[in-house]
Amino acid sequence: MARPRFVADAPDAVRSVELEGLTALYHRPSGMTHILAPPAPQILDAIGGSPADAAEILKRIGERFDLASGEDAEAAIEARLAELEAAGLVRRL
Amino acid sequence: MAEAEDNSDQSARPSRRMVLALGAAAASTVVTIRPALAQTAGSVMNCQIPVPAPQAAGNYIAPDGSLVAPGTPGAFPPAPRPITGEEAKLLLSGGPSPSGMDSQSAQAYANYIRRLQAGMSGFTCYASLQMPR
Repeated sequence: MARPRFVADAPDAVRSVELEGLTALYHRPSGMTHILAPPAPQILDAIGGSPADAAEILKRIGERFDLASGEDAEAAIEARLAELEAAGLVRRL
Repeated sequence: MAEAEDNSDQSARPSRRMVLALGAAAASTVVTIRPALAQTAGSVMNCQIPVPAPQAAGNYIAPDGSLVAPGTPGAFPPAPRPITGEEAKLLLSGGPSPSGMDSQSAQAYANYIRRLQAGMSGFTCYASLQMPR
């Protein structure tokens, strides 16, 4: 079964501000503001303009960070993606 | 999470690799601040999104959701009726196409809905759908 791949809106659709470890992100298309805790902003960065599934996102993040993950890092990424999807910040292809 | 707290270097451009805690599957990392849209949950599901908006009536919808001239090859004719909030919610989350619409044109309509901006017909309905469950 194909894993879902996710895409985010173009960078000019969002305006984000770092706030001492949190990220306030204004999503222009929906007019809503979201407060993101790590690793959600890093996941959005990792997706960038290039759609990816959870495994690919994990790989991209691993290139920039040392990951402190529990038993199943991919499941954690999938859970974060589900939250971002519910907030309208990423969508499935 | 303790690893992240031990890391004092929170610079956005790390000179050394930062530790990123992925968190437990049950943790929550997104909080949404909602503008006060004067709609109840019930009316959200019943609101309607015309595809395209009345000002653009007759235009075709390209697969990426942009509006193109009527008859453009590869583009789809306007939706035969407005898409309801409930249908749009299902469609945008990968669910079934609204009845009477085939899946290819429904995907184009979904992309059109995703591109709606404030002030466009159907935007308030779409914005309401974006609210977390």
